[in-house]
Amino acid sequence: MLSPALFVAVPLTVAAMVAAVRDLLPRWITDLVAILTAAFNFVIAGLWTLHAIHQTQVYWFGNWFPRGHMAVGIGFVMDGLGCGLASLASLLTLLALIFSWKYVESGQRHYHPLMLVFMAAMCGFSVTGDIFNLFVFFELMSTAGFALCGMKTREPAPLAGAFNFAVTNTIAAFMVLTGIALLYSATGALNLAQMGLLLAGRHDRLVLAALVFITTGFLVKAATVPFHFWLPDAHAVSPTPVCVLFSGLMVELGLFGAMRVYATVFQGCVATTHLHWIFVAFGGFSALWGAMMCFAEHHLKRLLAFSTVSHTGLMTLAFGLWSKDALTGLFIYLTAHALVKSGLFFTSGVVLHRFRTISEPALFGRGKGLKWTGLVWFLGGLGLTAAPGFSLEMGETMVTSHAHWAEAIFILAGALTGAAVLRVGLRVFVGMGDRGPSDRSAEVDEMPETSEAEKRINWSLFTPGLLCIGGSIALTFWDRFMDAAWSSSMRFMDFRSYALAVYGHAVPLAMLAAPHEDEKLAMALACLRVVLAVSIALWAVLHLKLPRTLRWPSFLEGSMRPVRQLQSGHPGDYVAWLTLGVAVFGAAAFWLGL
Amino acid sequence: MTPKIRLLVFLIGAVGLGAVYCAGARNMPPWAEYRGPYGDVIASLAVFERHATDTVNAITYDYRGFDTLGEEFILFSAVTGVMLLLRPEKAEQKNRNEESNENPQPFQDAAALSETVQVFTTALFGFSVLFGVYIAAHGQLTPGGGFQGGVIIAAAPMLLYIAENTDAFRRIVSHPIVEFFEGFGASLYALIGFLALLAGAPFLTNVLPLGQTGDVFSSGTIGLISTCVGVEVAAAFILVTYEYLREILSRERDQER
Amino acid sequence: MLDHYPYYVAAWIFLCGLYGIVRSRHLVHTVISLAILQTSTYVLLLAIGFRKGGYAPIFADISPGVVTVDPVVQALMLTDVVVEVTVIALLLAMVVKAYEQGGTTSPDDLRYMRG
Repeated sequence: MLSPALFVAVPLTVAAMVAAVRDLLPRWITDLVAILTAAFNFVIAGLWTLHAIHQTQVYWFGNWFPRGHMAVGIGFVMDGLGCGLASLASLLTLLALIFSWKYVESGQRHYHPLMLVFMAAMCGFSVTGDIFNLFVFFELMSTAGFALCGMKTREPAPLAGAFNFAVTNTIAAFMVLTGIALLYSATGALNLAQMGLLLAGRHDRLVLAALVFITTGFLVKAATVPFHFWLPDAHAVSPTPVCVLFSGLMVELGLFGAMRVYATVFQGCVATTHLHWIFVAFGGFSALWGAMMCFAEHHLKRLLAFSTVSHTGLMTLAFGLWSKDALTGLFIYLTAHALVKSGLFFTSGVVLHRFRTISEPALFGRGKGLKWTGLVWFLGGLGLTAAPGFSLEMGETMVTSHAHWAEAIFILAGALTGAAVLRVGLRVFVGMGDRGPSDRSAEVDEMPETSEAEKRINWSLFTPGLLCIGGSIALTFWDRFMDAAWSSSMRFMDFRSYALAVYGHAVPLAMLAAPHEDEKLAMALACLRVVLAVSIALWAVLHLKLPRTLRWPSFLEGSMRPVRQLQSGHPGDYVAWLTLGVAVFGAAAFWLGL
Repeated sequence: MTPKIRLLVFLIGAVGLGAVYCAGARNMPPWAEYRGPYGDVIASLAVFERHATDTVNAITYDYRGFDTLGEEFILFSAVTGVMLLLRPEKAEQKNRNEESNENPQPFQDAAALSETVQVFTTALFGFSVLFGVYIAAHGQLTPGGGFQGGVIIAAAPMLLYIAENTDAFRRIVSHPIVEFFEGFGASLYALIGFLALLAGAPFLTNVLPLGQTGDVFSSGTIGLISTCVGVEVAAAFILVTYEYLREILSRERDQER
Repeated sequence: MLDHYPYYVAAWIFLCGLYGIVRSRHLVHTVISLAILQTSTYVLLLAIGFRKGGYAPIFADISPGVVTVDPVVQALMLTDVVVEVTVIALLLAMVVKAYEQGGTTSPDDLRYMRG
């Protein structure tokens, strides 16, 4: 088996070398080298995923094997979920780089190294077994992200968005580091498995404080309400391929970081408490808040950003349920959501390229000529509602199979976010109804990212979106994927097998078939979601043509205004909410945990 | 939110956050009684296993060398980000020829710099560079290492700026070789890691001969990585200086027009 | 109380940094407050690694086997310090560019993002 160091070290080396000689290389060579590196990463990570779902394998850097119980070096723990996330990261970066071929023009000399570094950081983050290494890759992901976010320097808005992103995420990283320091003082170790073994059975204030800091730090990255304010700002101003990576994977990796630390270090301490319900509460609230804000938006990218907040909230809720079904559903949902969201962002990039604007009222009816793009957009919207045929539906069914009350939140969030996307689709690609309210958010004028529009959309701009949406549909019919997700989630929850693998006694895992839930009920609920989303979308689009009694209540727009003004763009506001969120999380943790 | 409400929200949150932090701090082991095994295990082994007397750098470049690779690339991406953000726009590209011969102007209303300062600071330049190289190359023996040595080397051109030798400053700082070494230095660290893969060992294993404890050429890859990191950090900081300098120059030029 | 006072100092510095960001009226001030927040973690880490009567873990002039302080936290920290300086440089580049484009350095005027 090839060394897993390759899918982190190779992109880093290539990025540095491209940066060193960039003045000498023509643009097409830089593109080609970057695309080949991403493809190489995808192949290596994919091979490792196929290997890791059968047996967790550990790789010690520098040949530093553990001495007794003391892990002296840094290890990569290649389990199913980690390798799967690394493959997904490489795939999305590959598609984003193909999209960038015709899309990114200025600043090209620095763009490709940063994208490759970002990919390497995401891959390393997914598989590392050392908590400080997790922090290092978190910082690396963030720093490359800040630079890529602020790339379009010809207007002031990207810098404001990148600044807010940078300030909030750096605070988050240092909260994680504070938590790591607290754990280090208690255990004297930095390896996740070792710390889990040392802290087992201990749930005093120190462990809880560390849990609060580390988890809230990662939840800032996961854009959980009230830590989410940076996300719409960052998405509104980043170039499209960068948005794909942010929404598709970076945000979910924040949740994954919290999950990984919880499942290894804290599981032994807090297993007897009801602490996981905090995740349910925060996740559910994020899902509903995000969905509400999503529907109120008229700027395509901010709309999609809020839908990411919502869907990541649903994933956090699924994690909080802490059962095999819920985690399997989470893994499937994560992959499917990454593909659908990326497809939608690629499509919005095509729209921005073609029509030079991304505001819903300004785009009204202009998309009628773009049939295939419109189709991809509509399919994406249906995907967000977890319609039948999209693997999001599979994921959602698994999550709620033993927690039917959560179905209500899934229905609401999925319907609202799907309805928002469908509404935009109806207005832009079909020209139905009216232009919609023009409020301040619709007036944000985003400069197009390419220098001139072309009548014909190049294949490299269109294919990534199509592949993503197609992939999310194809995933539904791939049974092995669901079985692999089931086995990986069993492994993920099982700390004992993790610790055994780290200390050299890996136990192979037989692949079990995932249980299939009540198909009829699942199909009925999925159809309900689709019907709900389509009706809300049609109602929003056609409401002025309806008799007065059936119209959209006018007080809704008015009451949404103060809520939407919370998203103020002021970094001080965001940090104030962040602090309050940490305090609330901490209070809940201490109440439930002690 | 008005500033008052913002402050109120923050203060409520800060009380909670502070309470969590202090609750955690109270339950930590008492100060000045470090107990944990990690540090003691490595302190007792590093000299014998790696012939390195500086345990801290043995950890940085060997035991936890993979972390440091990541950290070095954080530095690399931050500097690339600075270059990306402060890049000249297309309209300014044609002014680049003017730029390459332009020097930063010393402050107009400053008192004339005394000759002692000029001579002494310029003389310090060579010493600073040498000192920085010494610190970077002796990482495995004495406190210091690549990061610290690189910063010292990068600070040396600032001495020329202080001495108002702006021509030399500009020529050093804007040389294209700096940009090359920034990327090349970063990739060298990873390439040393690949050396271990070629030898059949896991990535970043110390496969070079360990030599005699206390020698400059000892500890295998630790000294080598330390020097490469020194090169990269020096180039990175000089590059950041250059980018900010160019920004100031273009602003001054715009104000003149 | 005295047993843990460096940790309380670290907590205080963390809160000071956050306060600075919230109350800031100038973007450079915000960035520097962020740097202050970062130093709180350095204080915390180094305080954790300290041992009374311990020597520095440099065995050039002492023999191995002598009681030393923890080298691991020092290793974690020293790369962090240099790296965070460059992240601050990145943030300041954003501030410089925002000033150039928008003519202002007040966070109140970053209203482009208002929802």
